[in-house]
Amino acid sequence: MKLKTKILLCAIGWLVLISALHGYLNVNWAAVLNDYRPASQRKITVAYLPVTCQLTCPVTDYISKYSENGEIFLPRMFQGFPEIKEALISNKVQAAFIVAPMAIALVAQGVPIKVVYLGHRYGSAVVVKKNGPIHSVADLKGKTVAIPSRFSDERLILFRAMKVNGMKPGDIKMVEMAPPDVSGALAAGAIDAFSMGEPFPSQAEMAGYGRVLFQARDYWPDYMSCILVVRQDLIDTRPDAVQTLVDGIARSGLWLDKGKPERDDAADFVGRFYYNQKPALLRWALTKPMDRVTYSPLAPRKADFDMVRDLMMETGILKKKLDFNQYTDTRFSDHASIETAWKYQAGSGVAR
Amino acid sequence: MSTLAEPKRWEKFFWPLLVSALLLAAWHYCIVWTATRIFPSPLEVERGMAELLREHVLWGDISDSLRRVAIGFGAATALGIPLGLVLGWYPAADYVVNPVMQILRPISPIAWIPVAIIFFGVGDDAAIFLIFLGAFFPIVVACIDGVSNVPSVYRRAGRNFGLSPQQLLRQVVFPAALPQIIVGLRIALGIAWLVVVAAEMIAVDSGLGYLVIDSRNSGKRYDLVVAAMLLIGVIGLALDLGFRRLEKIKSVRWGFRNEA
Repeated sequence: MKLKTKILLCAIGWLVLISALHGYLNVNWAAVLNDYRPASQRKITVAYLPVTCQLTCPVTDYISKYSENGEIFLPRMFQGFPEIKEALISNKVQAAFIVAPMAIALVAQGVPIKVVYLGHRYGSAVVVKKNGPIHSVADLKGKTVAIPSRFSDERLILFRAMKVNGMKPGDIKMVEMAPPDVSGALAAGAIDAFSMGEPFPSQAEMAGYGRVLFQARDYWPDYMSCILVVRQDLIDTRPDAVQTLVDGIARSGLWLDKGKPERDDAADFVGRFYYNQKPALLRWALTKPMDRVTYSPLAPRKADFDMVRDLMMETGILKKKLDFNQYTDTRFSDHASIETAWKYQAGSGVAR
Repeated sequence: MSTLAEPKRWEKFFWPLLVSALLLAAWHYCIVWTATRIFPSPLEVERGMAELLREHVLWGDISDSLRRVAIGFGAATALGIPLGLVLGWYPAADYVVNPVMQILRPISPIAWIPVAIIFFGVGDDAAIFLIFLGAFFPIVVACIDGVSNVPSVYRRAGRNFGLSPQQLLRQVVFPAALPQIIVGLRIALGIAWLVVVAAEMIAVDSGLGYLVIDSRNSGKRYDLVVAAMLLIGVIGLALDLGFRRLEKIKSVRWGFRNEA
């Protein structure tokens, strides 16, 4: 064999090998094939972050795979809110779990989306260094606190706590950080505290360097942060698909609130197959105590959103006063209220 | 316009401006043609820039970015030039240090972000550290190359005049290597300005890099994002033009073959 032929054969072999490996390891075939389906049967892509506020998304995906009709949607994990927001604006995803104030702000800026359901209630906390000098909200004066986004309820909860404790808006320096970065930053002393959703407070607690200063519910009864938004064009063209999605999420919420075995099971499969986090960490966040974060009732309520909107206007991140109906569509949650929890047991391999 | 002919005075400005105008027009018509509601048109960007000017944040951001680059780049120059001269002058030392430097050199300053936060916290220091890292290695390498490329006849001549090693380095080798060092500095300044966006991502609350991140975080404000990007580009161009003036200094100019 000539040298030229050898090189050519090697090059072709190499190309075939890496293409096959790429196809096997990297390509999400479900998503690729989905694009070739007729528009009416195409599965919705739902964006989510690896936080327990959005746990119903992977839970629904996992359990529905065992159900008669198969998976309901295509989940796609992101690492931060700005990326999700961009994917949503540019129609790369049709539905997403984002923080409530961000949804209101995007609607105010003319992005055609609607809030159709909540992701959870409770489950956010302000965490400080375990042996640090901060023991009360008043001690936070002049300190640096990380928040996930300026459009987050974790920021608003800080403002509420400050107001109750007689502090001025400028008394705390807030910095926006991606949720996965905050635990490390607190451990290294780069920030004095953070206000985040689970499992990051649990992570700091478990690792032994963090202490929960207060839970969100201490200053905000019925606290909610992450919500499910859907693009308006999807609501207009395929309301049935949106209804199926909301029903699935509602059933997962009820299933998660059934008891400790369900929570332990969810911690296990979500940690391993979706979030790439230790199941022990999620188990901590979901069960210590059980109502650290809850998943029912999740229908959007006017009072909750009015409060979020007013806090947003008060803290200068919303200019015009939007009405509840302008950014929510409650018909899906109304219909989902008759749903019951998934009939699914760990390892059974069937869900109904 | 042939490559040899000196461009006329008006041509120096006319052609670059024409290309920029054509690009702007192409951008504008792409937006009109695709009817996108997401990406901003040049006019919207201009309006966004005017809004930033009105809110008096722009000048503060520009000066903060320039200050961070000045400190980071200044420190890289102050440490990098002496180190580069020494390493170039003593090949044995270069032999020892070079492998480590070649390992550190290709690591992107962005990869240093977590480390920078641990060492310097979130704030100015971490940002300056990243800019320093971006500029330091190109300067050192340019100095080493500059010194080792000095023809040995210069050194021998210097020695024949009875110069001590220090005098030789200061009065002969450094001036001889200066043209190459200046080129290295210019490249390093470009990199330092390039790193500014990544550096200001670390929870700093001012600067043009922060402006990009901040505009991104504030929902659908891509007009501000693009405005900040354009500003970074224009200021980068101004910095480069300013630095080119240094190359015109008499003690450096001899090193550039085309400029007699």
